[in-house]
Amino acid sequence: MTVTAVKPMSDDELRAEVRAFLEEHWKGLPHRSDQWTVGPEQRAWQAKVVDARWAVNRWPVEWYGRGLADRQAKIVEAEFAAVRAPGAGQDRTHLYAITAFNFGTETMKAALLRGMLTGDINMCLLYSEPGAGSDLAGVRTKAEPDGGDYVVTGQKVWTSGAMTADYGMLIARTDWDVPKHNGISFFFLPMKQPGVEVRPLRQVTDEAHFNEVFIDGARVAGDFMLGGLNNGWRVLQTALAYERSVMGDAARGPRRGGDRATMVDLAREAGRLADPVTRQHLAQVIAWRRLNALNNARAKADLKLGTSSSVMSLGKLAMSRILHEEARFRTMLLGAQSLLEGEANPRADDANFLSLNAYFTSIGGGTDQIQRNIIGERVLGLPKEPEIDRTIPFRDVRAG
Amino acid sequence: MSSFTAEDRAAMADSVRRLLADLCTEADIRRAMESEAGYDAALWTALVDLGVAGLVIDPAHDGLGGGPVELEAIMEEVGAALLPAPLFAVTMAAALIAACGDAAASDRLLPGLARGRIATVALTGEAGTWTPDGVALAAHAHGERWFLDGTASYVLHGAAADLVLAVARIEGGFGIFEVAPDAPGLAVERLQSFDRTLRLAKMDFRHVPATRLGQAGWEAVEAMLRLALVALAGEQAGGARRVLEMTVQYAKTRIQFGRAIGSFQAIKHMAADLLLESESATSAARAAAEALASGAPDAAEAVHLAAFACADAYAKTAADAIQMHGGIAFTWAHPAHLYLRRARADLHLLGAPAYHRERFLQAMGA
Repeated sequence: MTVTAVKPMSDDELRAEVRAFLEEHWKGLPHRSDQWTVGPEQRAWQAKVVDARWAVNRWPVEWYGRGLADRQAKIVEAEFAAVRAPGAGQDRTHLYAITAFNFGTETMKAALLRGMLTGDINMCLLYSEPGAGSDLAGVRTKAEPDGGDYVVTGQKVWTSGAMTADYGMLIARTDWDVPKHNGISFFFLPMKQPGVEVRPLRQVTDEAHFNEVFIDGARVAGDFMLGGLNNGWRVLQTALAYERSVMGDAARGPRRGGDRATMVDLAREAGRLADPVTRQHLAQVIAWRRLNALNNARAKADLKLGTSSSVMSLGKLAMSRILHEEARFRTMLLGAQSLLEGEANPRADDANFLSLNAYFTSIGGGTDQIQRNIIGERVLGLPKEPEIDRTIPFRDVRAG
Repeated sequence: MSSFTAEDRAAMADSVRRLLADLCTEADIRRAMESEAGYDAALWTALVDLGVAGLVIDPAHDGLGGGPVELEAIMEEVGAALLPAPLFAVTMAAALIAACGDAAASDRLLPGLARGRIATVALTGEAGTWTPDGVALAAHAHGERWFLDGTASYVLHGAAADLVLAVARIEGGFGIFEVAPDAPGLAVERLQSFDRTLRLAKMDFRHVPATRLGQAGWEAVEAMLRLALVALAGEQAGGARRVLEMTVQYAKTRIQFGRAIGSFQAIKHMAADLLLESESATSAARAAAEALASGAPDAAEAVHLAAFACADAYAKTAADAIQMHGGIAFTWAHPAHLYLRRARADLHLLGAPAYHRERFLQAMGA
């Protein structure tokens, strides 16, 4: 790294420079269906973006940035967005790079940051375990020091992108004799090594979007620990906060024919639109979606006025009910047809798929029950449930 | 469109909130509900002085010239405080008079309402539905004069009103009529209501002389009902939020098994679900008010959505509130049942939730 400073620019100068860059270099990208990796053309493009210092404008010059204020960084991002060029604003959107930048050692940052920003290094998350779902602080994957390295053994689950990942953000137990939150460390684990085995996980929907990761004696350099020994819980909290701010609602729609069919269309198609009982259900399922939209609009308006809104936290819970109840309504309309599935039975296939996939929202990212705890405690201010495992050594915590 | 700014609106709501905090305490409510009139005259006068009785009445008729948005905001306060007063009845009457488009009648009647005269609407019969086929009054013309026969029931403050606006069948449709409460042939009977803060009456009409307002028909009733439903939705949203607040507060302080009961997930999860209900009700009521105020083409959809969503949300919140409190709320002395009684009354005051779900679909074109 030779540059030590980037000359300050006015907004107009900055805009002119980024426009000139895009005009000269941006030629568009071919379409790609693989969502887990970045294609060669895009990697080449992002390398240009990183080297021209447009990828992470808020970061300092030592780390591919320009040290810009948020306002000016947004100018750059707007120019990229205007021509639909990817690669800018990664200091806001690249969960892994942000975590590495904020908590990684100099050695790790020098080794990985550029590759992460160009898309040459693929990442995945190694958080959840079969025994640590809602209670993430109960992870039992262990990392034991060995020379300058750590040796990792355990099992992770619900890992998307594990097949193609070069590194995984891992939480592992490094001290069993302190309470659970205090004995966790955070690593970038190299995935392409003999001790790491990835197996696709067949989901309840009969799809496989996630993997199980079996780790047996895999090695990670001490320099690839983030935030220091036994400080992993704090790093994780920050990383989870980034993740929530970046990810929108990931619920999927029907997978067969009826993407555009409304609930009214479906009721009409089933010959049930005139049935008073059906109409009552129909009005209610439509209402739940409408009410959620009205809540979101109100939350946004409140946010603009600078008043905090309790409505914001309710969206996930509302969406769980919407998805489960819409699927129930679709199933009810179909009657015996809901016994079927497959391409030949698109409506039944949709109803059955959606009835199972609704759990993606009501379990994934914190179950509805955990969400209710969060609303009860953080929004309504109700006292926390006593946690019997909070103050005892993790070694003595009951598992099962 | 009203000429209220956001600041005017906030100031108005704030004045009403402070007034109700002073003069509409639980003790005041209990006193009013045991009284014959069902409301405290001093509080009503204070509300009239604030302009609340004439909130939706045009300034030309001594009102404040507010619209659905202002009305909804005030009704949230009314609902939260469980105000026992003829405000809702007077607002419906004022809206119906204005919707008739009879300038002389408006000039003659509206200023009085703005100044606190008690007026009400007699529309539904024993059926209790606010639909054309719910009307059990018929009007017959004898020359220039009209006479009403039949029954109107569930008339708000019917026994105290000194102006009754009756909706009656005429040949080929409906007419809206002004009736004096002491008119010959009119018998008013107070009904015993489950919500003790309500005053309901049944009115029997036998050849009762009446004055028709303009040439207005059912479309004026619909216009009045849309505004009344927005007002009711606001009351329900405000009531739901307040009863939940009260319950959450109790769950923080009530100790059992050595812990605040709100620390138990059984209580916490109910509270979280009720927050979703009461906030959704608030969003729906406000959106309906805005849609009606702006004359949005989907205003009817928004109004009927708010009508059933707010009714159901309030009923569920008030019902669960008693369960969450436990034994203390099974006593007469505890206020939770006052909210449940109001919520249950509001479920059917202007048509049941099932009816509004049906109207919602019809408004969507389904």
